Amino acid sequence: MEEEVSAPVCNGEIPEDAVIRLEEATKVYSLPFGDVVALDSVCISVMPGEFIAIMGPSGSGKSTLLNLIGSLDVPTSGDLYIDGRDTRTLSDDELTELRRDRIGFIFQQFNLIPLLTVLENVEYPMILKSRQAVKGNSRARDLLLKVGLTEQMLAHKPKELSGGQQQRVAIARALINDPAILLCDEPTGNLDQATGRLIMDMLSEVNRRGKTVIMVTHDADVAAYASRTITIVDGKVA
Amino acid sequence: MIFFEIAKRNIRLNLLRSFLAAAGIVIGVVAISSMGMLGSSLTLSVTDSLSTVGDSVIIVPVVGQPGQNMVTTESLITGRQLQQIVRVVAPNEAVPIYAGADRIEIGPDKAVAALYGIRPDQIPLMVDIAEGIVPRSTSGALAGATLADEYDLKTGSRVKVGNETVRITGILEEQGMGFDINPDNALIVSERWYSTTYDQDNYDQVIVKVRDINDIDAVKLAVERTLNRRDDEVTVYDTRMILEMIVETFNQISVFTTAIGGISLVVAGVSIFNVQMMSVTERIKEIGIIRSIGTKRFEVMRMFLYEAFILGLIGSGIGGILSFAGGYIAISIMLQDTSYLFNPETLFYIPYGMGIGLLVTIVSGLYPAWKAANLNPIEALRFE
Repeated sequence: MEEEVSAPVCNGEIPEDAVIRLEEATKVYSLPFGDVVALDSVCISVMPGEFIAIMGPSGSGKSTLLNLIGSLDVPTSGDLYIDGRDTRTLSDDELTELRRDRIGFIFQQFNLIPLLTVLENVEYPMILKSRQAVKGNSRARDLLLKVGLTEQMLAHKPKELSGGQQQRVAIARALINDPAILLCDEPTGNLDQATGRLIMDMLSEVNRRGKTVIMVTHDADVAAYASRTITIVDGKVA
Repeated sequence: MIFFEIAKRNIRLNLLRSFLAAAGIVIGVVAISSMGMLGSSLTLSVTDSLSTVGDSVIIVPVVGQPGQNMVTTESLITGRQLQQIVRVVAPNEAVPIYAGADRIEIGPDKAVAALYGIRPDQIPLMVDIAEGIVPRSTSGALAGATLADEYDLKTGSRVKVGNETVRITGILEEQGMGFDINPDNALIVSERWYSTTYDQDNYDQVIVKVRDINDIDAVKLAVERTLNRRDDEVTVYDTRMILEMIVETFNQISVFTTAIGGISLVVAGVSIFNVQMMSVTERIKEIGIIRSIGTKRFEVMRMFLYEAFILGLIGSGIGGILSFAGGYIAISIMLQDTSYLFNPETLFYIPYGMGIGLLVTIVSGLYPAWKAANLNPIEALRFE
């Protein structure tokens, strides 16, 4: 009898040294009216220092993919390695630590903490990591000044700033723990064109300094900043 | 700590709501503290008004019950039994007492008074004399404080008891309620006068004054072993035991009133629960944000528990201060005497109430905090 030889995972196309490796990752949501396959055996690898744009129509599975890469969720089947760690074997606390230490999030809605000042928002992930107060921390201040905020804005609450300013604060917050990966979900979606360009220039600069950037966007002009575009259609890489 | 800071700021942001929730705790703490203080003062005041210190053993004959085959034909303590008691309780002194009541006449006034017949040399063991002396002749008598006051009796007054007349040789100090004898409304006469007048040889009760309070149980046991060896001839009480029973009863009343106060604390707990649930629901998006950027579940839980803790601390703190005033008012209305308020046993109810208040708040905050910590971060982030 002929021995059955299983095909190598993703045709052996996933390099071992990729910072993100999705190997036939599938995500199924169980809903009352049946199972929905949001991602279907997806194979994606991202090398350190890449700038990736993820595009695709609504409901294609972009957000699911971003949630997986952001380790907010784990695949139903298949494997996902982030920074060499198999996310399916990690506990909730370990996934949280992975997000805190290795991933920076930038959202369309900025998502700053309304009760904290601008400076405290940037210090927050650092306090979580070091487990102690970092009063008058100069790193958070330096980062904020570097992304273009002024000294007197630091004591303000986020809602007192413009959208562009809030997104700069979000970038500073994402970078404070020196993550390997920057995840951006429509980073210019709530900004006017000119401000959006400034933010994209800033993300390009961050990428040039060595950070891996992964960005979900609808906007082809924004996607043009990336070095590679991955298009998702119906839960598969097109 | 950053979580404490966020909790503090959220309370300040929703000041009125937080204040109202804390007010519930204030009321609850005041209710249980002042009820507890009232109960405690009541117990202390009753204990104080009972004159007898726990130093007496009271021996009374067993009263025959219908249908029971009793050995003693009359329910009195015989001379032979007294001899036995005197022997076993030595060196403590046994005081045999005749007790009864009779009609008395003081001038034109007629009344009924209790009578105690006690050996003159033993009278000072049982009562304190305010003025005058122990009767030296058989026809002398001592008048209780209330009786003397009511009928204006003085040393030298004459009182007709039944068909005889006695002369008052002294007035007693006010004794208060006692377990052995209640002399305030009584005449104390010599045992010889009583026994001759009423033709009674046997005693109504024997009281043993125990010098060392630690010997009470031994004395009790000795009397019971000797007299009740074959049949139950006597019943032996000690005043300490009776005192403990009364104090126990009042403590139970105190627990009951405190529990009623506790109901208001339950209501306060519900309002804390409600406020904390509101706080969680309003901040679902914020919880999603902090979870996504690396806040662990137990850290989210801590943040919300701090909030409940701060409310509890403020509520209990104010409640503690107000319960001092509340206790003062309750005690002065109920007892007309606030001197027991400053007793450590009474003041204990202030930290006690505060502790319970804080505990109720934290327990009420547990579920909302747990719920916040266990929200799905993806759904929470998407929440608008």
